[in-house]
Amino acid sequence: MTYEPPVTDYDYIVENCTCAFCGCNCDDLDYLVKDNHVVAVRHACRLGASKIMEDMDQRLLVPMVRDENGELKEVDWDTALDKAAEYIANSIRPVFYGWSETSTECMKEGVALGEYIGAVLDNQATICHGPSLQAVQNAGYPIQTLGEVQNRADMIVYSGSNAMNSHPRHMARYAVFCRGYFRQRGRFDRTVVTMDPKFSDTAKCSDKWIGFEQNGDYGFYNAIRAVLRGKELYQDVISGIPKEDIYELAEEMKNAEFGVLFFGLGLTHTLSKQRNIDIAIKMVQDLNRYSKWGLTPMRGHFNVNGFNIFMAFECGFAFGVDYCRGYPRYMMGETNTIDLLVRKEPDCFMVIAADPGAHFPNGANQHLANIPVIQIDIHWGPSTELADVVLPGSFIGVECAGTSYRMDGVPIYMKKAIDKPETCRDDEWIVRELKERVMKLREEPNVAPKYVPNPNAL
Amino acid sequence: MEYILKNGIVYDPANEINGEKMDVMFKDGLIVDNVSADAEVLDVTDKIVMPAGVDPHAHVAGPKLVVGRLYRPEDSRRGVTQKTKVLRSESGFSIPSCPATGYRYSRLGYGTVVEAAMPPLEAKHTHEEIATIPQLDIPAMPLFGNNWFVMEYAKDNNIEDIAAFVAAWLKISKGYGIKIVNPCGSEAWGWGMNVHGVNDKAPYFDVTSKEVIVALAKANEMLNLPHSIHIHPNDLGHPGNVPTTIETMDAVKGIKKGKGAAEVRDQVMHLTHLQFHSYLGNSWKDVTSGAEEVAKHFNKADNLTCDIGQVTFDETTTMTADAPMEYDLFKLSGLKWTNKDIECETAAGIIPCIYSKRSPVSTLQWAIGLELFLLIEDPWRVCLTTDHPNAGPFTRYPRIISWLMSNEKRQDMCDNEVHKWVHKRTLLPTLEREYDFYDIATITRAAPAKIYGFTDRGALTPGYRADIAVYDINPNDIDPSKQADEIEKGFNVADYTIKDGQILVKDKEIVKVKESQNIWVNVKGWEQNEQKVIDNIMPFFTQYYSVKWENYPVHDHYVSNPIRVDVDGK
Amino acid sequence: MHYANTYLEKPVVPDVKITGEGTTDVLKCMLNTGSDIYQGACKKRGSTLKEEYKNASGTCYMDPRDMAKLGVNNWDTVLVKTDFGEVVVNCAVSRDAPHEGTVFICKGPWANTIVSHDTYCCSDPTYKGIKCTVEKTDRKVLLMADLMRWVYKKYVDEEDDDVVENMESLGELPVYHGRKWEELIDHDL
Repeated sequence: MTYEPPVTDYDYIVENCTCAFCGCNCDDLDYLVKDNHVVAVRHACRLGASKIMEDMDQRLLVPMVRDENGELKEVDWDTALDKAAEYIANSIRPVFYGWSETSTECMKEGVALGEYIGAVLDNQATICHGPSLQAVQNAGYPIQTLGEVQNRADMIVYSGSNAMNSHPRHMARYAVFCRGYFRQRGRFDRTVVTMDPKFSDTAKCSDKWIGFEQNGDYGFYNAIRAVLRGKELYQDVISGIPKEDIYELAEEMKNAEFGVLFFGLGLTHTLSKQRNIDIAIKMVQDLNRYSKWGLTPMRGHFNVNGFNIFMAFECGFAFGVDYCRGYPRYMMGETNTIDLLVRKEPDCFMVIAADPGAHFPNGANQHLANIPVIQIDIHWGPSTELADVVLPGSFIGVECAGTSYRMDGVPIYMKKAIDKPETCRDDEWIVRELKERVMKLREEPNVAPKYVPNPNAL
Repeated sequence: MEYILKNGIVYDPANEINGEKMDVMFKDGLIVDNVSADAEVLDVTDKIVMPAGVDPHAHVAGPKLVVGRLYRPEDSRRGVTQKTKVLRSESGFSIPSCPATGYRYSRLGYGTVVEAAMPPLEAKHTHEEIATIPQLDIPAMPLFGNNWFVMEYAKDNNIEDIAAFVAAWLKISKGYGIKIVNPCGSEAWGWGMNVHGVNDKAPYFDVTSKEVIVALAKANEMLNLPHSIHIHPNDLGHPGNVPTTIETMDAVKGIKKGKGAAEVRDQVMHLTHLQFHSYLGNSWKDVTSGAEEVAKHFNKADNLTCDIGQVTFDETTTMTADAPMEYDLFKLSGLKWTNKDIECETAAGIIPCIYSKRSPVSTLQWAIGLELFLLIEDPWRVCLTTDHPNAGPFTRYPRIISWLMSNEKRQDMCDNEVHKWVHKRTLLPTLEREYDFYDIATITRAAPAKIYGFTDRGALTPGYRADIAVYDINPNDIDPSKQADEIEKGFNVADYTIKDGQILVKDKEIVKVKESQNIWVNVKGWEQNEQKVIDNIMPFFTQYYSVKWENYPVHDHYVSNPIRVDVDGK
Repeated sequence: MHYANTYLEKPVVPDVKITGEGTTDVLKCMLNTGSDIYQGACKKRGSTLKEEYKNASGTCYMDPRDMAKLGVNNWDTVLVKTDFGEVVVNCAVSRDAPHEGTVFICKGPWANTIVSHDTYCCSDPTYKGIKCTVEKTDRKVLLMADLMRWVYKKYVDEEDDDVVENMESLGELPVYHGRKWEELIDHDL
């Protein structure tokens, strides 16, 4: 990397902007603005700065529709919206996927459209922390806000999470290096443990690295739980870790005053999936018999938690909500995007503020090649290569205000700093327009003739 | 638009109207005493007409609720209902989705519901949910009892700064009044501990629960807030907590009520879900009902009001800012446990709970609630709640009404349905009092409205909001003590629910959906003190909160259509 | 205008020189995928069509001992195969080594072609812990747009993989309506 002189040529600074990258939602960013462009960002990490200093080469600026040659053709908003609305109105199994990089205000329009037309609404949790949510539904959810961690925690465990790469300011701002009310010396008052098969960048700045073997997470946590409950370990080495180390770690965890377990996709993506999280939660619950422990999933997108929270208060389920019967249904492995695509069920796919082209396995994406795909996004990405209608949205937290929820559930109002490109529209507006156009094209399916009281609910 | 509700039998305790056959008129959203000949006539001959219900304490919106829904899909599935042309789909039983919450309250004839616990840091979330619930007016009560700033000021007995802090935080969080939950206990939970009794201190804070309660009560009256402090005392749900409850009651002895808006109410302290705080004994083995002792004490202290938190024998979800208590429940039941600590402010816990008629403890709790209802003499000082969803969902209110109105029904349950502890450890089988419709209207409408200092609802006074409920029950034709099931059925779905003059429920069907409004208290006259306090705490805030100050307040964006109650604080 | 620059053509990797031909043609490994900071920064900036994304996401990070077995050096190309597909990617020395027997490819279209879509009824595909083979190859790593065309063939009238792989590249800038992006900016906007 070469040295770069600091940017000094700017018109003004917008302070306390919220980063629209990961679940840390750092709300202390300063944007340096010149000619309605952010020319530099202060306080952000490499990821946040990179996102905010977006690549204008690939910025989607004009609505586009595929023509008969398979080439994207720029069109006016009316044409593009009508085409998209037609795809949605003519479908019988539409899936609206994404939402994690847009505001809850936009989701509100999305759920109205989804409920009206009987769509499946799902977000990125389905490919990241879905198993965590499933485990939460099995075992519980002892969490705390990040300020609690900052002020109280003297033991931090990262498990299957490489915070230094995926949440670079997490350690600095909330968990490890920062000074807290009861932890005045910051890093020196805390013990940091990283559990990861790899000697990751996070492990490199931890006090302890537990390099359990690949797919060994479940066995390892099981052993810790056994020790916590006073059992003896018979095997000398469990999941690649000597039993003495497990005894030592369990003792350390018991003696912490306030411990927090942060876990990431290292746990949800391996073979035992939700069972890994399940046992991690139970371990935390066991630890509370001795001291105070909590956990927090390291959510990847700045509003992936927001969608789960939003859907839970709108319809009672967090993600993978199927409205096709006129009431919400949710079944893991059944009403989730990957499973639907692998089974080749959807006949129309709307992706908003997400990139299945970049993040879905081949086996799921293959079906997107067979059906109409509507993309609402700000950049030309892998999904654009599969899209039939492209609707350019705007950048939440930079060009457009909106609400997001941090990984710990703290709501943050992300303010607007600059104007959006003239030809773009706000996500909220786009979805509302689609809703209104779909409502004109098609009568509401699956409506009960009258309210039938559910005896359970009375 | 003008309307006239014709020939109903009106129960309006605030105006001392007890079952009179009369017309109720309203125009442009308000009750009026006469209308023109063009008024639309709604025939409600021989049906019960009451002001719309006011629920003084329920958990309907906010971060706790959402975690409950998120981690209990099994509960969401219990209440699914297909959408109609007017209504969105519904889900949930004990923790219904936001639309379902609004619809169900509306069907019960309610118009106002108080969200009982709002952590200021996540107040935006609470307001987002309030905006999603249709049909109701919803004030929210921010939590102060474990707030670090409050505890620091209380330690120094600095009432003036607490008052300024509260005034500022009501504006910041768009809250209605002071909620205190397990004072000092939820802070102790930050270290996995709890406080026991009102004289116990939070670790590191050198202040007792009682000092916090007294300081907040004084600040409350200094600001002339329309509601008194609203307290969930220490030691909830622990056998032997009666002394703590009584000491909490005594703590506010001698505190004078404020002026102005504070004069509407009589109390200086509202005790919530008193049922959970009336247990004698030392453990779950020898626990007995403390209702008699608590009620006796309560009856004597005329500066107190309460609601009950009546257990309804359902599978429900308990959720409270009393997080250590939830962990105790987890240790007892082993069901999936959720906890949520909030920096510098509060904590919360959630756990599913099954209240069973076969269970001795559930039976005891059920009986204690009813005992309190029957032993507290003045219906103006007690409100009907289930502490929704903690002791049961609010949709069970009609069933509780039927129990209160029928001794025969209660005796039948004691003898044939519930666990035998009811005879051995409670007085319930010996209590014969029965509520009448006037009493019911008091505990579900008039009393809560008065307790909250509302001067625009809870009565059918001309000039008040036209919030009216009509039930398909003919009081001259029914014997509530013998027809408990009919009473429950009659109150289950209102014939009409009218909110702000709009007919939301007609012939037991929701015909119209209306946006909710948030009610918040704007204290005037303290602006300079507020600024001073904010300036003082700013260095601390910047250092130890995980959000920027700019992101802390509830922006107007979240309360687009509020009802602001201006209060003269000086 | 002076913008703060966040571009980085290639991730920084340990400078390890492998000498010798290697001892095996096909290496059996365990494949993990996930994110790292280079991939994250490039993807979210939106530079997915560019060489930078190809290098950040389309790179197989290996233990140097495994690379020695194959006889490959930083930024040579390798072919990774699993039960679910195959893809050509760069190889480079892992910053997190040692992890002999395990290779890591950042999430992205390259990894997608070879990860498992099995959710085992829990919504989440198996992105980690997949058995794979790694072998040396002369084939080129495709740019994102070319890769998407090669894998999904949504908008080409051609079934044959080899033909599509060797079609003219779609390039590093958006192509729409047959024109390059910069032409459009000049003439239409």
